[in-house]
Amino acid sequence: MSDTKHWLQDDLPENVELGKDSLIIGSEIFKRFHSELSNAITIGNSSTLHQPHFALGKQARLIIGDHSFLDNTILLGEQKISIGNYVVIGWNTTITDSDFHPASPAERLQDAIACSPTGNRSARPPIAAAPVIIQDDVWIGPSVTILKGITIEKGARIEAGAVVTANVPANAYVIGNPARLAEPPTVEEAASE
Amino acid sequence: MSEAMHIPGDWHDGYIPDNVVVGSDSYIETSYSFLRYRSAADPGVVIGQSTGVYQGTMFDLGPHAQVKIGDYVLMHGVRIIADTAVEIGSHTMMSWRVVIMDSYRIDPDVSSRRAQLDEVSQTEDRFLPGNTSGAKVTIGENVWIGFDTCILPSVTIGDNAIVGARAVVTEDVPAGAVVAGNPATIVRYQQNPA
Repeated sequence: MSDTKHWLQDDLPENVELGKDSLIIGSEIFKRFHSELSNAITIGNSSTLHQPHFALGKQARLIIGDHSFLDNTILLGEQKISIGNYVVIGWNTTITDSDFHPASPAERLQDAIACSPTGNRSARPPIAAAPVIIQDDVWIGPSVTILKGITIEKGARIEAGAVVTANVPANAYVIGNPARLAEPPTVEEAASE
Repeated sequence: MSEAMHIPGDWHDGYIPDNVVVGSDSYIETSYSFLRYRSAADPGVVIGQSTGVYQGTMFDLGPHAQVKIGDYVLMHGVRIIADTAVEIGSHTMMSWRVVIMDSYRIDPDVSSRRAQLDEVSQTEDRFLPGNTSGAKVTIGENVWIGFDTCILPSVTIGDNAIVGARAVVTEDVPAGAVVAGNPATIVRYQQNPA
């Protein structure tokens, strides 16, 4: 493990834009960054990213707004992941906009061969991908998984460990695998127990 | 920051904070486990004897947090997110990427949360503020916790219980129970919990 450092605009690849007062803290954060887009990553102002993993494919785009806080977030992008303003994401959460491999058995077999060490990657079958949109003021707990095509609307809260497989309405609270709507625990409840 | 608090051969250039008490024959693999440690409590962490704290374990403690860990405890990459108190009994084993949290650390109210985030962005270390309204998590003795599990604020897990891998524990677990699932439910009771 190499040393963690504070990344500012000058330390970043040319297609990564980091806004005023935003900061990335971590090591080896671009190890799996392959995006060839001219605007691969755009991060707004006053956001904080502790040890992010920008695992972005050639055509992947990542947008993060202002005043957001991400802790050790694993961002697996092939298309588009969009995170709004004042979003909090707890430790070790994974967000992906792709299935990475085809679902049907025949195509998957073809893909396994194309992905092998001596395989022809241009022979890979089409793979499902769909943008993930996380709107403003969304609060996501640690160890959450968010799958492709999901929109989490403004102000929603995702409990720790949830696996989000369907869209989450504004200001909703979800928990579980798969994540389902529930009543949120209140601070008073937690403190009185 | 006494010299004695450095771990010989540690790959991370850090130290074990002064308010951490470590019992005899206990082992902490790396001071990296204290990267997120802000506790000013006295003591902040007490570790009993013959306990192993291995790589990947993180004491992510706010300024008021106190953590008590018993004897012969195995911590293989546990993340303790604490602002109040976490207690772990003797002979308890925890697997990798287990999250034990006594606090949500952030305000459920949107406008308060925005104010917290504005404040964080002005600090050098960028830690979320320690929340004083956390609720103690208590894990009993001889408990076995599977990987990727999340234990949520205020939860008590009874002695000898087993928590299955990837469970999310939202409610108390009785002694001797086996729980699994997300959210976790009781699967069965062990025949011979004593």
